[in-house]
Amino acid sequence: SGELCCSLLNPRNVRFESINMKNVLHWSAPEGTSNGVLYKVKYSVYGVGKWIRKPECRNINRTWCDLSNETSDYEEQYYASVKAFLNGMFSEWVETTRFNPLTDTKIDPPMVSVSSTEKSISIILTAPEKWKRTPEEESVSLLQVYPGLQYNVSVLNKKTKKRWFFSISNHTLVVPWLQPGTAYCVSAQIHVTTPLLDSGFSKEHCIATLKDK
Amino acid sequence: EDALLPAPQNISILSTNMKHFLTWSPVIVQGETVRYSVEFQGEYEREYTNESWLPIPECSLIPGTVCDISEDISAPVAYSLRVRAHSGARRSPWGAMQGLFNRSTTSLTPPLMKVIADGYHLLVELEDMGPAFQFCVLYWKKGQERRVQQKVVTEVRSAAHLDTMEAGADYCVRAQTYVEVINKSSSFSQTQCVRAQGDKSMWL
Amino acid sequence: GACRVSMSMTEIRAGFTAIKANIQARDPIRTLSILSHPHSLHKVKSSDRCCITHHLFNFYVDKVFKHCKTEDSYVNRKISSIANSFLSVRRKLGHCHEQNQCICGQESTEKLKQILANYEGLNVTSAAMKSLGELDILLDWMEKSH
Repeated sequence: SGELCCSLLNPRNVRFESINMKNVLHWSAPEGTSNGVLYKVKYSVYGVGKWIRKPECRNINRTWCDLSNETSDYEEQYYASVKAFLNGMFSEWVETTRFNPLTDTKIDPPMVSVSSTEKSISIILTAPEKWKRTPEEESVSLLQVYPGLQYNVSVLNKKTKKRWFFSISNHTLVVPWLQPGTAYCVSAQIHVTTPLLDSGFSKEHCIATLKDK
Repeated sequence: EDALLPAPQNISILSTNMKHFLTWSPVIVQGETVRYSVEFQGEYEREYTNESWLPIPECSLIPGTVCDISEDISAPVAYSLRVRAHSGARRSPWGAMQGLFNRSTTSLTPPLMKVIADGYHLLVELEDMGPAFQFCVLYWKKGQERRVQQKVVTEVRSAAHLDTMEAGADYCVRAQTYVEVINKSSSFSQTQCVRAQGDKSMWL
Repeated sequence: GACRVSMSMTEIRAGFTAIKANIQARDPIRTLSILSHPHSLHKVKSSDRCCITHHLFNFYVDKVFKHCKTEDSYVNRKISSIANSFLSVRRKLGHCHEQNQCICGQESTEKLKQILANYEGLNVTSAAMKSLGELDILLDWMEKSH
């Protein structure tokens, strides 16, 4: 990396952090620099000849840059690069590794909604949506991006402390013949076999079955 | 001088549940510690890279006579294995395993299984045998042996829910392991039966 | 044509994921892709998919893997695992080809020519390492379109 006297040390740990294909470039400031450092960012589509500057991330002092818009085609792969400036000194361009939005994104847990009757609970799961430019843009569910997507559902009987596990492909699950007047806590996870992607488990949604009439 | 150290003999593979162990007879040299190194070769290496061999670092210069080769036997082809002995600066010729090894010959054992009746719910707890394993679970209501239901269980983190049961009825379950990459199943486990909660009032 | 071949995508993916960063770091050329530019695999007609898949497996088995030896034993073992898996799938695809279920149309022939031209435009080691680093492009396309 550069010597301190004529140029600035490089930004560190330049990488994409992606959740549901919201692809944000992150980095750490050059070692030993506190504030006042500015940055500029460029990106390129792998296999295409040119680097493209990101105007909204030119002369910024934050250490992230949202490139979701520029990397939204997940049939392509990308590189991004960052350069640091301070008092007339500047660092080298520091690149990410090759970024594949399809395999390198993380997936949020599904949304879980639960309702109950006297003896059953009904669970509806909703896979997260792919990042989109504007709220008006048509939504694309990650179910469409990963056709083999499945749900792992955990149902905990709060009285007996016993946990049951369901692996389902469709997005609804009814668990009948439960104990009336009992609290059940549900959480769910998304599982994609290939490419191998697992979300975390959602937070628990607890609901009680109605009491015996 | 090298030729004095004999090549390892009786090289064979013990393979159970997709865990493959290469074993061989020790080379005995009075007063010396003998160590061993293992190499493998897949069909690709035989056909496309002049029969080259790949070392297994975890089994290089090891004192024992067993090597876990599961990590490298990771494709649906026939593999060759060889071992040689080392003593000080001396090395033996390579001892080659007789024939080739294909992982589809692994023997699969039925899973350890615990069947649970939780109220009106039939559940099964299965042992975690590794990512390559799925479980084919059969269950039926006692007396209705002709109406067997089947469920494939892939997640074994906690009790897998099979079905709901009729009050007071006995249900029986048995399971076999299935490994998709070799398209092979084990024999079935022992059958286990449980009884559903018998609160008849639920059915009035 | 239709051609149903069983393969363990999970195993191949796991093998590639384990060495992806290492292999792609050995490919400094950002401006050239063997598989995806100028024509993306994703633009291939469904009728040509079997042919493209068959020829790409031939390409990797015959031309790529054997030129990818590295100084890293772990990487070499993973490449061996992928290569042997590809060899097994290539054999099954070959049977489809022999039964005329894998016909090559004009478009796929052009596409394959382009891939070979991209490959031959580099020295063999660079071309092989770049092709290996693009394995996820092939796997993503296969999963999406099959």
